[in-house]
Amino acid sequence: MKTSPREAVPAGPATARRRPLGALREGIRDIASRRRLIRYLVAADLKRTHTDTLVGRAWWILDPLIQMAIYWILFTLIFERQIPDFALFLFAAILPWKWMASTLGDASTSISSRVALVRQVQFPKLVLPAASVGAGITGFAFGLLALALFLVPYHERISPWLLALPLIAAVQAVFIFALAIGVSALNAFYRDVGNILGHTLRLWFYLSPGLYSLDALGPGPVRTILSLNPMASILDSYRRIIWGTEQVAHGVAPDFAALGIVLGVSLVLLALAIMGFKRVEPAFARIL
Amino acid sequence: MNVLAPAIVVRGLGVRYNLTLTRRTTLKSTLARFGRRSAAPGARHFWALKDLDLEVQHGETIGLIGPNGAGKSTLLLAIAGILEPSTGSILVDGKVSTLLTLGAGFDADLTGRDNIRLAGAFLGIEGKELEALTPGILDFADIGDFIDAPVKTYSIGMKARLGFSIATAITPDILLLDEVLGTGDQEFRAKSQLRIRELMTQAKAIVMVTHDLAYVTEFCNRAVLLEQGRLVHDGAPEETVALYRERVTKKKLLAAGTSGRFEGAAAP
Repeated sequence: MKTSPREAVPAGPATARRRPLGALREGIRDIASRRRLIRYLVAADLKRTHTDTLVGRAWWILDPLIQMAIYWILFTLIFERQIPDFALFLFAAILPWKWMASTLGDASTSISSRVALVRQVQFPKLVLPAASVGAGITGFAFGLLALALFLVPYHERISPWLLALPLIAAVQAVFIFALAIGVSALNAFYRDVGNILGHTLRLWFYLSPGLYSLDALGPGPVRTILSLNPMASILDSYRRIIWGTEQVAHGVAPDFAALGIVLGVSLVLLALAIMGFKRVEPAFARIL
Repeated sequence: MNVLAPAIVVRGLGVRYNLTLTRRTTLKSTLARFGRRSAAPGARHFWALKDLDLEVQHGETIGLIGPNGAGKSTLLLAIAGILEPSTGSILVDGKVSTLLTLGAGFDADLTGRDNIRLAGAFLGIEGKELEALTPGILDFADIGDFIDAPVKTYSIGMKARLGFSIATAITPDILLLDEVLGTGDQEFRAKSQLRIRELMTQAKAIVMVTHDLAYVTEFCNRAVLLEQGRLVHDGAPEETVALYRERVTKKKLLAAGTSGRFEGAAAP
């Protein structure tokens, strides 16, 4: 190249990107200032999903029920698992897991599927994974209706601790948001992420206490390693307030200490995800 | 801001595309690249624009001309803030609007009305401001009851009309145009030409990309010729257009000469 090197003078929005804290602040501002856009995107997503199906939005409720039924058949009929009220035991974990899995699936394509938009319109790209998270939360809310129906035959397991559900959901939402931002950016660069994600989520689910409880494993290194998984604490908390424990046949207090740690970790992950996202954001228009 | 400040200042602008991170990138190719990182660094980069300086004063209409792949659209995208400069800087004084955005944000499953809301929100027009603009958008798009039908039921022309109406609903300070002058049917084309001229009279500065050289000499008061990412000429429209025509003719002759079709003409 013949040209003399020039000093790179970034224009406008790029300046904050150089400093991580500035990027974090800018990312938070992106989301706060475009709340309405995020809301429209969530509404659009809700209008779109399942509108061309026979029973429409009932799929929000049917999906987790059917999934639970499949596992129930597998484990009670074939593996002859002896856990009381096993259907509720499964459902308490499948519902929040489905929330995370479907949100991450959505988020992974939230940027890469909007080529024309990203290449032609100047807007904060963070709104795209944020909208996936918003749509996921709405789906989870529908799923809670299924849970309410489901609790009717198991009403003797209901306890006041059920009211702690929004608290656990809030912790999980922060965790999901951090991961959603990460996969949306990664999949814009590498389309493999979408493929890997499905398998990763499946393996992760089997390593999380969804189909079993960690207590059933007994003490040992395996249990210690598995309990480091943030989703282990989250699923365990849901199960404790909805189903109970092996010893107590009704909802009990969640493990607040574990939830607190997960919240702390999730907040750190979220901050890192926003910083990383803001760093690579200018590249999206060039690589898509 | 100083009234005398230029509307757009571009200094030493370079936009580099990383060819290894295009849309077909997979993890495998990146891992492979890490393995032989030392070999030929920078060989997979492409400079769409290089060392470009440009100043646009308030009230000017600039035409960008040049062959395909010269970097005209890249320059517009960079001025619009969509592409970040790899080197150099761009300063823009005022609200920028691109008419690149015809229907880019459309969601085929939503109705036209929902899409107006969504596209408006992407462009940063929301709430009361958008509500106030909506009747004008509907009126201009003129697609009747289809506005409450999903966009996937629209014809290409209807989609283009709605997109154009949204994109031109706000009056920007700086207007960037990229070959949007031939949208829709004959009637709508005439209407859109009028609307663009109206915007042109209201905008503080206009930069347009076009292959219609007559349009450049008619509407622009300056024209810039780009070739292979570099600024070749910046001057009066007639002068720049003449230079461009000359270079195109010369290139054609050269190509004809090397291809051997006119063997005598290329002889020294």
